[in-house]
Amino acid sequence: MSRFLFVVPPLAGHTFPTVEVGEELRSRGHHVSWAGHAETIGPLLAPGAKLLPVAAEFYGETLAQLHRRSLGLRGAAAFRFLWADFLIPLAVSMLPGIAAAVDEFQPDVLIADQQALAGALVAHQRGLPWATSATTSAELTDPFTYMPQLGSWAKQCLINLQHTLGVPTPIDLRYSDHLVLAFTTEVLVGSVHTFPGHYVFVGPSIGIRRRMVTFPWDWLDPSRQHVLISLGTVSPSIGRRFFATAVEAVAPLSDRLQAVIVAPPDLVDVPHEHVLIREFIPQLDLLPHLHAVVSHGGHNTVCETLAHGVPLVVAPIRDDQPVIAHQVTEAGAGLRIQFGRVSPADLRSAIIRVLDDPSYRSAAQRIQTSFTTAGGAAAAADHLEKLT
Amino acid sequence: MTPDQILADVRAMLVEIIGPEYALGIDIGMTTSFEADLELESIEFVKLATRLGEHYGHRVDFVAFLADKTLNEIIDLTVGEVVVYIADRFTPARTAAVDG
Repeated sequence: MSRFLFVVPPLAGHTFPTVEVGEELRSRGHHVSWAGHAETIGPLLAPGAKLLPVAAEFYGETLAQLHRRSLGLRGAAAFRFLWADFLIPLAVSMLPGIAAAVDEFQPDVLIADQQALAGALVAHQRGLPWATSATTSAELTDPFTYMPQLGSWAKQCLINLQHTLGVPTPIDLRYSDHLVLAFTTEVLVGSVHTFPGHYVFVGPSIGIRRRMVTFPWDWLDPSRQHVLISLGTVSPSIGRRFFATAVEAVAPLSDRLQAVIVAPPDLVDVPHEHVLIREFIPQLDLLPHLHAVVSHGGHNTVCETLAHGVPLVVAPIRDDQPVIAHQVTEAGAGLRIQFGRVSPADLRSAIIRVLDDPSYRSAAQRIQTSFTTAGGAAAAADHLEKLT
Repeated sequence: MTPDQILADVRAMLVEIIGPEYALGIDIGMTTSFEADLELESIEFVKLATRLGEHYGHRVDFVAFLADKTLNEIIDLTVGEVVVYIADRFTPARTAAVDG
């Protein structure tokens, strides 16, 4: 039996996919542990899972303070913030905790999320076999083809970090030379890209994620179609305009659909019987009832939607979301709209198109099939076992 | 070609790209920034590059222009900088050098 250590950033979307893989490894008799921020990560792990905590703050700032500072940033400014103000300081702050976790747990294999750079650093420094956990596929393709300076700037940040820390042979910490686990498939990422042999596409890992959230199931009218409108966990202040646009977009469609909007109740006025506002939803349980999803393009929501063969309207805000939106439209599984500027009429026509043109659902179902056959957590566990 | 003419051309392209409905609320001028004011997305930068190429020909290579910028310059990029770049590509000295 072997010992596997998952190193994750304090981000739910980056932790969820590792939970199912870790549980799969545990069920095979391996020793598994996670290293990360106890307050954020602890509640996401399965009961009985072992967590080795790291320092909660970095540079005197909490995650919530940092998040507030990042609000409103878009495009290249958001990109600069992500790396210079979040990922690099996060790596530095996590380093002592991760080094201690490795000392304590003595893993045979370390799995570092692509945004938990401290994991990659410690594995590299100690010569441990390690895998990259790519919970979003944006870094796997080159999203910077029109602005190559973004990609090279990020790479230079990583090299500088390693020089500062006295690492004699800096590497690109985003990509392991041993194994890169991508929680998507090439059908979604796009066949125009070719990948080295140690890149493995296992499909989304979404099995263990059911939390008890109530939902008024009786409200769903089986004679109408159902559309989910969600911006994930994005801050309300950013979503206010978009939600108002969405309400106006679906307002005249009461004869044919019902819409569920995921938002704090005080943020959206709902004058319509066919629009429901819920702050939290049981998304995986709701998906089988849905005919379309309007999303900001978070990788997990997009993959969960496609795993149910449901088409999308994607309104990317920033970070990896424009890349994911591009993948969805290239695959034919949905339409893209402009988050900050879309009008009610444009959003309405996009929703109607993905509902009425069967090609979007067919493409979503093609991706669904590719997800099913990719092997998921079991395939990921197989590949990780080969590293021992 | 005067800077005013170029600004008018670029403004028309941007209005088309971001949509006239939304553009109504923005007075696109030399100091308007692509990121903070127009919230131009990556695919829209690509559209703009295509439009500029169609309108001005091979002398205006917006992709190469962007590639020379640092990350911080990209973040602060204004419409005026693009206008000046285009005007510069059509100055007599430049034209002679390019054509000759």
